[in-house]
Amino acid sequence: MKTPMLAAAVLTILACGPCQAQSMFRGDAAHSGAYAGKSPRAFHRVVWKFQTGSRVVSSPVWSDGALYFGSDDGHVYAVDAASGRQRWKHATGGPVAASPAVVGDTVYIGSYDGKFYALNARTGAAKWKFATGGERRFEAKGLHGMQPTTQTIADPYDVFLSSPVVAHGAVYFGSGDGHLYALDAASGELRWKFRTGDVVHASPALANGVLYVGSWDSYLYAVDAASGKEKWRYHGGEDAAIHNQVGFQSSPAVVDGVVYTGCRDSNLYAIDAETGKEKWRFSTGLSWVVSSPAVAGGKVFFATSDSSLYHVVDAATGKPVLQQQGKSFVLSSPAVAGDVVLVGVLNGTLEARDLASGDLLWDFQTDASRRNEGWVLTADRKFNNPMLFRSNWREAPLVASARQDSVGSIYSSPLVMNGVVYFGSADGNVYALD
Amino acid sequence: MRRLILAALCGMSTAVCSAGEVATGRWQGTIEIPGGALDVIVDLAQGAPDAWSGSLIAPGLGLKGVPLSEIAIKGDTAAFAMQRGFGRTPDEKAQFDAHVEGDTMSGEFRQAGHSATFALRKIGPAQVEQPPRSTAIAKEIEGRWVGEYELGGYTRHVTITLANRTGAPATAEFVVVGKRTTNLPVDLITQDEGLLRIESEAFGINFEGRFRKESGDIKGTFEQGPVELPLTLRRPG
Repeated sequence: MKTPMLAAAVLTILACGPCQAQSMFRGDAAHSGAYAGKSPRAFHRVVWKFQTGSRVVSSPVWSDGALYFGSDDGHVYAVDAASGRQRWKHATGGPVAASPAVVGDTVYIGSYDGKFYALNARTGAAKWKFATGGERRFEAKGLHGMQPTTQTIADPYDVFLSSPVVAHGAVYFGSGDGHLYALDAASGELRWKFRTGDVVHASPALANGVLYVGSWDSYLYAVDAASGKEKWRYHGGEDAAIHNQVGFQSSPAVVDGVVYTGCRDSNLYAIDAETGKEKWRFSTGLSWVVSSPAVAGGKVFFATSDSSLYHVVDAATGKPVLQQQGKSFVLSSPAVAGDVVLVGVLNGTLEARDLASGDLLWDFQTDASRRNEGWVLTADRKFNNPMLFRSNWREAPLVASARQDSVGSIYSSPLVMNGVVYFGSADGNVYALD
Repeated sequence: MRRLILAALCGMSTAVCSAGEVATGRWQGTIEIPGGALDVIVDLAQGAPDAWSGSLIAPGLGLKGVPLSEIAIKGDTAAFAMQRGFGRTPDEKAQFDAHVEGDTMSGEFRQAGHSATFALRKIGPAQVEQPPRSTAIAKEIEGRWVGEYELGGYTRHVTITLANRTGAPATAEFVVVGKRTTNLPVDLITQDEGLLRIESEAFGINFEGRFRKESGDIKGTFEQGPVELPLTLRRPG
């Protein structure tokens, strides 16, 4: 109980009550993004890197000396956290762009094949799997101004799948079929499903028996975890023209009775967890808040896409505490660990910032980012637009988006355990740094 | 051997083979950017002495007829830049510095803080593509116009001030006021067949509209990238 942050983390764990472990996306069921471990304040070395067959947007979780994560190569992996050696892999039928939850000896995770898996944590063997209505990305006609505007286009920046939260003997997750699901954690039997108006790729947060999750229908929902009944819904922004400023992709964090969530309408919202009333909103202009906010020490930490700004705001009032200009888009969720905030950036850089000042302490550039094939990045690591985005027609913007990833973009949210920082990269690696 | 003879001729008499004659033409080759060579075609032509024009084609980047600027040809060196039609801001400009020898041009390509070598070979006479030029406008649309459009749930106020200049193309001031005031740099203003078009490349913003005598306004569209929104300009007050 040495710091207010540690106290907050302990309180969160206590509030979680029936949660059996803290091995899940954003560290706990309330998704505070605050970790008990301390991050290094200086970069020393790459402890190891583990190569998968494709992009890793999944955020690794730690349990009993192993890291668990998914890869877009279609596998769920268990890797020894100390050595980086593979313990097992389990094949699914599609990219595994979610983060797992590990409870006891079971790993829970969803795949783009539309199935949700429970795997044996020691062996990777399937215990059960559940078929949802099928996965899909958010899509719209004329999305982001892509041409032709009369054609429906899937969003290349809808990169994540919903990550599960496990409590009360149930596992909860969202799906591209527009539902929030509750399954029996032991058997995989459906307890209930709650219908929203569009894709649910945000990850539900759980506090005091209530699930909070946003949908691409631009509503944030509060749903009773036991019954699946709606308690309230909050409406974010709309964008009928190009569907660019709409939808909850960010996963909420629930701390001290307040739900904090980003939105693609370029706001960070603080919503009263009990009533669903807006307490405050922080506008970023026209920059998405895809990153899921971290909440610690009475402050909210998040970052933006196009404006590439790192923000810290007061949790009670939403007033800005500090702002730092980054170099590139951030879709990854910041992790608070000790007196350091870790942020993954789409230019293939992991940034470590001082908790109090926001100043950059150190950064790490992936191999692919250093190679920078095709000059996707400028020499100072900003996206080099003249060499990237040449046309809004047909597949050109999608190709440009894929080329952005070629520098090892970091979508994955960093995990800190025993002084080691773990994260995935679009270069297919999971890195361990200290 | 042909190159040697050409070089020898150039050395003997600048009248026979001036720097301009050496550099002028259509040049084709590649820029060796890491991860993939970029195919380019460069056209360079000389009008009056020191009056060069040029354009570039790069199919891999979807570029055709990008105007070259800052063209400087001296002896066997050639330098030129590319910004308009390529990068939106000065720091996105690309720069070529080359040595010309006979029908080969090779040197350094710099962009975004990087540099790479390039090598081109002359393949024929220059086919420089001239960029569109601003024109004069009808007297009835000179002066100040105001209007509003809505994007992302916010209303933006637009003021456009148009003026003719004697013996020169018209000018336009293009100001958008939302949460902040943005004075858009105007690259092009034309009125052709009555259709007014104003372009600001740095912001990817255009206005296109037609004056309506009966209502005394300019009915048109505000374009930002692929987004087109209705915008009708009227006289203030």
